[in-house]
Amino acid sequence: MEEPLDLIKLSLSERVYIKCRNSRELRGTLHAYDQHLNMVLSQVEETITTIEEDEETGEEIVSKKTRNVGMLFVRGDIVVLVSPPLRTS
Amino acid sequence: MSNRILPLELIDKAIGSPIWILMRGQTEITGILRGFDDYVNLVLDDAVEYSLDPRDKNQVLKKELKAEILLNGNHVAVLVPGSKGPEDSLASKS
Amino acid sequence: MSSESKDASTEEAPTNAEHKRSPADFLKAVLGRPVNVRLNTGTDYKGVLACLDGYMNIAMEQTEEYVDGQLKSKYGDCFIRGNNVLYISSQKR
Repeated sequence: MEEPLDLIKLSLSERVYIKCRNSRELRGTLHAYDQHLNMVLSQVEETITTIEEDEETGEEIVSKKTRNVGMLFVRGDIVVLVSPPLRTS
Repeated sequence: MSNRILPLELIDKAIGSPIWILMRGQTEITGILRGFDDYVNLVLDDAVEYSLDPRDKNQVLKKELKAEILLNGNHVAVLVPGSKGPEDSLASKS
Repeated sequence: MSSESKDASTEEAPTNAEHKRSPADFLKAVLGRPVNVRLNTGTDYKGVLACLDGYMNIAMEQTEEYVDGQLKSKYGDCFIRGNNVLYISSQKR
């Protein structure tokens, strides 16, 4: 591996995990990417985590919303981290 | 005029001395300047990071990194050569 | 004098020359070693630096993710987009 983007190249047609800005996470099959890290994914599961504060008790309420999308394009500038999930422990 | 000093020449003179860096956003960093490049990426020794506590925005967290760091020039806003940072009385005066 | 590991820009100021360490020197020294990568958001990634490029895009191995100092997850391999990187620090130990 000579440059970081090679790691993305090795993940083509594999399931990948993508951490985005604003607590958004995507898991899907990687079909294409470019140097900006714009990406095309299929069979995507999107998870958005929000933390709200209960007005009465002041408790933090963590809620996760997930939804499934058949095919989508991710704009590279929201990407924070990319990892092939099958190799995560 | 040959006696005019370029901005980065000033920083070059600070190599080996303390430097205080204000980042875009709230983070501030101090350390001993070891080197830098044209993008103002900076190598610092004994760096100390000052950031706002995510739980209490009025509290400043001080983190001594005890290592050499490469600071991304992209987020650098202001450099104060010769200053040891927010606790340095000379720098914070007025 | 050989030209290796000497940038043209480091030739002046001989007083500090022995202490000088450019970003390129730093990166050469930490490749393949354990590092801590701090993002602008405050999240830390500790792992082995596999490689990086001019945008500070980073590929890391055996990566641990720390949010507020607490271990949140682990990644075998991971790519970090350079614009999010605040600093890379060598892990002395």
